[in-house]
Amino acid sequence: MALNYDPNLIGRVFETTDAVEVKAERIQSFCETLGETNPLYADGKVAPPAYAVTFRNGRHFFQHVPRFGRAGFDAGKDVEFVRSIHAGDKITLSSHVKEIYEKTGRTGTMVFVVVRSTLSNQDGQEVAHIDHRFMSRT
Amino acid sequence: MKTFADVHIGDTLGPVHQFVSKDQCRKYANSAGLPAARFTDDEGARKEGLPGIILPGNMSLGLLSKLVTDWIGYDGGARMIRLSTTYRVPVQPDHTLTFQGFITHTTEAERRAEIDVWIENEEAERLVTGTATVQFDK
Repeated sequence: MALNYDPNLIGRVFETTDAVEVKAERIQSFCETLGETNPLYADGKVAPPAYAVTFRNGRHFFQHVPRFGRAGFDAGKDVEFVRSIHAGDKITLSSHVKEIYEKTGRTGTMVFVVVRSTLSNQDGQEVAHIDHRFMSRT
Repeated sequence: MKTFADVHIGDTLGPVHQFVSKDQCRKYANSAGLPAARFTDDEGARKEGLPGIILPGNMSLGLLSKLVTDWIGYDGGARMIRLSTTYRVPVQPDHTLTFQGFITHTTEAERRAEIDVWIENEEAERLVTGTATVQFDK
């Protein structure tokens, strides 16, 4: 079945989020919920690498992303960690739809929408790239 | 300090056994801005066809990231530069999860190690699988 969506959607960045300041307390809270005791991270000065996935897309981003079938699930992520995130950093995130594809498995047909997000800090340096795979069942 | 010379194909990470409670799952979801019923409320999760609340994918990613950063150690010398995860089966809290890894490949020129990582339940079913890349300074 051919997937129905506007091919011009692929690669378009719709919005970049306002900068979010990283607070030491947020890093500490993140560490606590994961049982993180590594002294590199637990004092909240430097975030563990996985903190990068906690930044959210802009409010309007998903209005531009087509929906296929029933409610989507998080199918997985590919994260490239470029730089550490520190308390006091101001992080922006810009995202685009990287690809849309269909796959048929044991449990039926699934549609995957891959959203690529780039995180940057206050100096314009890239901090992380995240490919987020959303899966819906048709 | 762990160096590239310390790392060999076939070396293992873990197994680390960790009981993850529903309360911990809810705390993660709320602190990460993911207050969806599927992560916080059993009844709401069941309405979505789930057996009860499940861990957010980001939480599984965070726990696998911790497996790798704990293995790297506390004194620098290496850092995780990539982590990829696939959520195969919903991860339910109030279970003891096992986190493991296995060095599959090393690249001497770049001083990098590729690691298969995964999360199992008590029945040794692989719920989340992934790969990580670690870059060594020496």
